Amino acid sequence: MMNGTWKVDARDGKLAMAHIYVAFVALALGGLAGLLQVLVRSGKFELPAGISYYTILTTHGVLLGLVLTTFFIIGFQFAAVSRTAGTLSDRVRFWGWVGFWLMTIGTAITAFYILIGEASVLYTFYAPLQAHAGFYIGLTLVVVGSWISGFAMFAHYAKWKKAHPGQVSPLLTFMSVVNMILWLICSLGVAATVLFQFIPWSLGYVDRINVLVSRTLFWYFGHPLVYFWLLPAYMIWYAIIPKIIGGKMFSDSLARMSFILFLILSIPVGFHHQLVEPGIDPVWKYLQVVLTFMVVIPSLMTAFSMFATFEMYGRSKGATGLFGWLRKLPWGDARFFAPFVGMLFFIPAGAGGLVNASHQLNQVVHNTIWVTGHFHLTLATTVVLTFFGAAYWLIPHLTGRVMTKAMNRLAIIQTIVWSIGMIFMSSAMHFAGLLGAPRRSAFSTYGDAPQALEWIPYQIAQAVGGTILFIGIILVLIIVTNLAFFAPKGETEFPVAEVAEQAERTPLVFENWTLWIGIAVVLILIAYTVPFIDMIQNAPPGSKGFKLW
Amino acid sequence: MKTQLNTNTPKTKVEKEPALKGTLASVLFLGFFLIFTWVSVYFLFLNRL
Ligand code: HEM
Ligand SMILES: [Cu+2]
Repeated sequence: MMNGTWKVDARDGKLAMAHIYVAFVALALGGLAGLLQVLVRSGKFELPAGISYYTILTTHGVLLGLVLTTFFIIGFQFAAVSRTAGTLSDRVRFWGWVGFWLMTIGTAITAFYILIGEASVLYTFYAPLQAHAGFYIGLTLVVVGSWISGFAMFAHYAKWKKAHPGQVSPLLTFMSVVNMILWLICSLGVAATVLFQFIPWSLGYVDRINVLVSRTLFWYFGHPLVYFWLLPAYMIWYAIIPKIIGGKMFSDSLARMSFILFLILSIPVGFHHQLVEPGIDPVWKYLQVVLTFMVVIPSLMTAFSMFATFEMYGRSKGATGLFGWLRKLPWGDARFFAPFVGMLFFIPAGAGGLVNASHQLNQVVHNTIWVTGHFHLTLATTVVLTFFGAAYWLIPHLTGRVMTKAMNRLAIIQTIVWSIGMIFMSSAMHFAGLLGAPRRSAFSTYGDAPQALEWIPYQIAQAVGGTILFIGIILVLIIVTNLAFFAPKGETEFPVAEVAEQAERTPLVFENWTLWIGIAVVLILIAYTVPFIDMIQNAPPGSKGFKLW
Repeated sequence: MKTQLNTNTPKTKVEKEPALKGTLASVLFLGFFLIFTWVSVYFLFLNRL
């Protein structure tokens, strides 16, 4: 195998752990906000001291959707490239720390303005809602910090390539590079809208903002953002889980191919979040929906590959029958169990995604709590349970400890608690959404409208599920604290899978970055140029800022 | 039967495809579930037109 070192260097481990600490602090605070939300929406509880529901919801969305994810991902990827492409150079590590501190300071600034109630604009900060400029400036620092870390990873990859001419790079390093390229290309959109629209507007240099342009730039970023969350989970599924179960990867080429397809296809599709937006010609919405459905291909490739890995392993252990291989999997190992449950939840999550992306069906669910139910499956279960599963070996690996049997047991229980809570909360959200219940709103009976009264039982179920989920958050925090500070000292493996013997050799073409980035850029230009010019040339007068909270 | 074709080939060259029946069944079920969900909401949409 081409794996460099077996153990992540202690100095690189510190850098990764710094990110992971911030991520779990965000989970604790964001989870508390989530609990408050479900309680408010049940109608049985009101926020004390005149705190706005939207302050809480903004906290929740920013901390969990933006902070937890970005920090965990960058920390995990630093560990992954260090493990597979060798210890970081001092320069790369230095810039990694610069990125970390910029992101952390930015997060602190943004969180400050949210918590003092000056930025209750939700994590999507749609214009014409206007937050204090500090909110946008903090977010800018987070993005700039993440770019610096991204370039640090690119530099590390380039060094490896130089030292190994003509060789295929280690899979986890390759995947980290793909994910950071995706992030870089898409976050240019959010940087553009924040720097050129929101900051001047919130500082009062300009009076009005072009709302449609700002939303379009946001979703140019916002859809690939979900793939930026998802790809690290796929890294764990493709390149780590096979090792944990004691098997082999089904195919290295298939994994790389699916990552390249995600890179190409996940950006020119932002309009599927704007299907009911006026001012965009339906032709362009149609084109982007078609591209959206192409993402089904790498998704099903991933599903196939995972099933195949499990079945090949089970059969090598003598499993027979159609599904006998299922019984051979290591159900008692939380490093496997948590991500596996995450994979199962991706089935209903993917099905819901196809509904969201279809224009007509989108009208049934648009802006209803169905959508919230959907991404609590994708992000808050599939991705998050996979990250938890990774934390169970990554943290002790980096802190020089081992997970005890008791903690492993607790982690299994945590996964089950999370699943039960999420089944209640997410199903309730899906059904209430189909009955028209809006997302992003506190409790109301809307003047005792019969339709709104129908939602109440679901909102109670949501609160029950959400409370169980909150218990799940407490459990994972106990485990993580234990692994970071209290678990017995020892050596824990950073598992990296090998490829099955039957698999084909990986061709070098997957690392032809000019080709893939070129295709991605061409598709972006095709999907966005004409409608974007249209938005600017035929723009209505812009909007003043509103503070509705 | 033409099994004789195989008899001369040395063991190492036998390219055996892994048996992945369970995988096939699983992805078929997955596809069915995706279509079922989509069609269900589609009928809801039609009902509300
Ligand atoms: C205790 C666990 C959790 C509970 C009870 C919970 C509850 C909720 C509720 C009720 C909403 C929607 C409220 C509304 O639209 O009015 C919501 C929104 C959201 N949740 Fe969670 N959630 C939890 C965990 C998570 C996790 C782990 C993540 C991500 C990793 C997450 C990400 C989000 C995001 C991004 C939103 C959207 C915010 C918005 O619409 O602006 N949640 N959550
Ligand atoms: Cu999307």
